[in-house]
Amino acid sequence: MMNKDRPQEENAMDPYTRDTLAHGLSRRHFLTRSAAGAAGVGMLALGGAAAEAANPAADKSADFARSSDGGASLSFLPKPKPIADKDIKETLTFDVVVVGAGASGVPAALAAAENGASVAVIQKHPMPVSQGNTGSGIDLASSDKAGVEALVARLISDSAHRCNPALIRQWAYNSGEAVRWVIDRAKQGGAQVVDQGSAPQFAIRKVNGYTLNYVTSFFGPKPYTTGDGMRALAKVAEKAGVRFFFRMPAVQLVQSKSGEVLGVIAKGRDGKYTRFLAKKGVILATGDYQNNKAMCDYFIPDLKHLGRKQMDRTGDGFALAYWAGGVIEPIGHTKMLHDFDAGPASMCDMPFLAVNRAGQRFVNETVEMSLLNNYLRDAKDAGHYCQVFDSNYMTQAASWPGKLVPPEGLKNYMPDDPGPKKGVFESQVNTHVADTLEELARKLEIDPANFVATVRRYNEVVASGKDSDFGKPADRLIPVEKPPFYGIHRRVRVSAICSGVLVDANHQALDAEGKPIKGLYLIGNLGGGFYGGVDYPLTVFGLSLGRCYTFGYLAGRHVAKQ
Amino acid sequence: MKNRPLQRLFSASIALFLGVALASAVQAANTAGTNDEGLGRLHATRGVQCAGCHGNVKKPQAVPMEQCLTCHGDTKALAAKTASVKPTNPHESRHYGTEADCNLCHHQHRKSENFCLDCHPRFDFKVK
Repeated sequence: MMNKDRPQEENAMDPYTRDTLAHGLSRRHFLTRSAAGAAGVGMLALGGAAAEAANPAADKSADFARSSDGGASLSFLPKPKPIADKDIKETLTFDVVVVGAGASGVPAALAAAENGASVAVIQKHPMPVSQGNTGSGIDLASSDKAGVEALVARLISDSAHRCNPALIRQWAYNSGEAVRWVIDRAKQGGAQVVDQGSAPQFAIRKVNGYTLNYVTSFFGPKPYTTGDGMRALAKVAEKAGVRFFFRMPAVQLVQSKSGEVLGVIAKGRDGKYTRFLAKKGVILATGDYQNNKAMCDYFIPDLKHLGRKQMDRTGDGFALAYWAGGVIEPIGHTKMLHDFDAGPASMCDMPFLAVNRAGQRFVNETVEMSLLNNYLRDAKDAGHYCQVFDSNYMTQAASWPGKLVPPEGLKNYMPDDPGPKKGVFESQVNTHVADTLEELARKLEIDPANFVATVRRYNEVVASGKDSDFGKPADRLIPVEKPPFYGIHRRVRVSAICSGVLVDANHQALDAEGKPIKGLYLIGNLGGGFYGGVDYPLTVFGLSLGRCYTFGYLAGRHVAKQ
Repeated sequence: MKNRPLQRLFSASIALFLGVALASAVQAANTAGTNDEGLGRLHATRGVQCAGCHGNVKKPQAVPMEQCLTCHGDTKALAAKTASVKPTNPHESRHYGTEADCNLCHHQHRKSENFCLDCHPRFDFKVK
């Protein structure tokens, strides 16, 4: 890639796009590298069938280069043979075809319809699906412009300076309008949704001293989620003329010889194919690939032993976009792992004593829950850890950031407590109370002897006033000595993988030359460039859904106006 | 760690493999499934032949869920039969409504499993 023939416009590219073109994964890269004859171990060769077709003389061993741990190759994405016309039972034509009915696809479809387009949504599930409760935007009217820019800078820093700043700004300057629109339309569909305003964003009301205010949509409380919200929004979209086709996975794009994307072929429940032609564009909103083992092994091996929260997220859109010439962001994708359900969400970042499955302390507990997965990636811990405190917690931890739930409220999170549960996923609560440390250890499924020794050592550290083991600040040290003892057994699992495929500011896919692929748009977790760090940042609560709504809203409108 | 689509693909390939093996070796005897750990055995003893699910036995096809429903009926009616199961109806969920793929739990040529359990540790259903 780095040659003197690089077109002039590429030199003017932002660093994110330039580097993704240089190091991302696309079929052209395979063809170029393979054709160059540099058939060596460690070289990437993408696509089995394509590989042989392009370079039949290539050494077979080079066809499927391995990742550094030897466990992955891109042989899992060979381009399939085009489905023949004779196998297509029906062809339907729309202005816009959206693939995926989630938190970006449903808003995109509705926005396109409101801008005059005829719209089809193809969804492999029997209904729209999404997850989480909170989706956020900035209320521009009541925020300092300097504050908006300070938050943009903060988010870029959260993403280790590896994201596309243009996309962060696009969220910042459009999200208030988009999130308000989602709330309004979802309410029309009967959704249980409120605007919580700036209240949940207490830590970022001021950034660098500048004032900010927020629009924070909340679909809930649990077990009601954004999934229910998107089902309500889909009803509104249907009334606006959008046609939904459920239980129909998209299997191939229809592409012209010149590369323009003309439509999508989907497979019905009866095994027969329908061709959806899109006069203005195809918007892929198919989500991440957390349930695709081969893709995870290749792009994000950190997740090997960590559980998944979602189902059927098989990266269908990654394959479709990649076959069409799109560029997947290079290895080292951003992950999101949480557990807000085992105990109160408001206590998840409070720095109580934390132990792993061996019953041992493993971290300075001021590290946020969203980062703890990095300590728990092995097969034994597999994301499990426990927060532990004694019956003095309401007074001794009163000044810590976060919100303490009193003992009576903790019962709501205790599977062994017979009382009714409210506002939680009843099958996932996992908080316990016991009169002895040994009994608590058994309930938390950790080694009792280790646990008792850990608590004894921790209490010594606390008594000394200095955490000589992990360096936690003295004002975050409280003893575990007065029964009854409490434990929250959390298990962080994958909520989402939020790296994707290269797009420009119109959410249009770019090919390996950096040129837009006509007719192909990518939004939601499939769209690249919005993150870049090791883990999804929890700076703005609800950034992920807020971004999905905003880019769905903007892309739907943009494509409708083509 | 679970990987559901791969599992499904895997079970489909097992089915395909078994189908091919049976088609070439013991086609006439209709012993399909009699050695299975899963529901294949039950189906076989009730007289369901390979072709009943897999189509042409010489070129057996992966079995879409619709095939299950041709005999077992509409999913809403199926879900109604288990409406009183505690702690929740296994055939009606927030994830799929009543349309969860049968094969997530009910396998033919390997042991069936409780698909819910990985995320919901207290959904201790016994799966046939």
